[in-house]
Amino acid sequence: MKKTLFITYGLLIVLTASTALISNSMSVSRLTIILIIGLSAVKFLLISFKFMELKKANAFWKVSLISVLGLIVLGIIL
Amino acid sequence: MNTHKIDYKNIYYPPGGILMWIIIFLELLTFGMALVVFVYYGKEQPELFHQSRLQLNSTLGAINTVFLLTSGFFMANAVHEFKENNLKKSSLYFKLTMLGGLLFLILKSVEYYHKIEAGITPETNVFYTFYWLLTAFHLIHVIMGLVILIWTNYGMMKKKSDTGVEDIEACAAFWHMCDLIWLLLFPVLYLIF
Repeated sequence: MKKTLFITYGLLIVLTASTALISNSMSVSRLTIILIIGLSAVKFLLISFKFMELKKANAFWKVSLISVLGLIVLGIIL
Repeated sequence: MNTHKIDYKNIYYPPGGILMWIIIFLELLTFGMALVVFVYYGKEQPELFHQSRLQLNSTLGAINTVFLLTSGFFMANAVHEFKENNLKKSSLYFKLTMLGGLLFLILKSVEYYHKIEAGITPETNVFYTFYWLLTAFHLIHVIMGLVILIWTNYGMMKKKSDTGVEDIEACAAFWHMCDLIWLLLFPVLYLIF
């Protein structure tokens, strides 16, 4: 088992727990929505860069994925 | 086993293969656009979306997120062990990945059962039309992913296997794509309205 994968997994679980905590303890507001979607975007990037090893890929793929994620996130929060 | 070195920095060889990444981008754009339209409708009818969202069980959704993340973690380890030539360990991680996917399917089925029992169908309202369509399409991807996992795991464990790193990475990329889609679906459907 690779240590970096284990650390990434730990982070993903912590971020999921944080999302649950935020959605349970705060009423739905613009700030809550930004926080929840922001945490999901971080998890999305952790999976793609660490688990899918996108960090090893050509910059074109990294920039394209970040751009697509950015567009979706903006479409949701704006 | 084919383990030749791949130059991932070459634009044509992202980990998982260029065809798989084209599929991943198309899927993300399709689900992404559907979610943006869903949010647009949500802004038009905030009360309906809020009441509908409250009928969803976000705890089940969060548990399913953990199942998929854990499954993705095992998948990444399966690829790592395959590259290290530890076929048995890699196969074990493949099976653990499948277990995570299977648990996701079971929990999703329970959720669907409760919804159908409560008379909540795609015709109930616009929120549930999106809920059923988006989650069902995602579920189909998870089922397809499981079939690919079973097939790849069977292929790599054959005595005269020609399964290479590219095959394992493509299989893993498809599986992780299911995680990525769920990470977008879960907060939008279950949490933000």
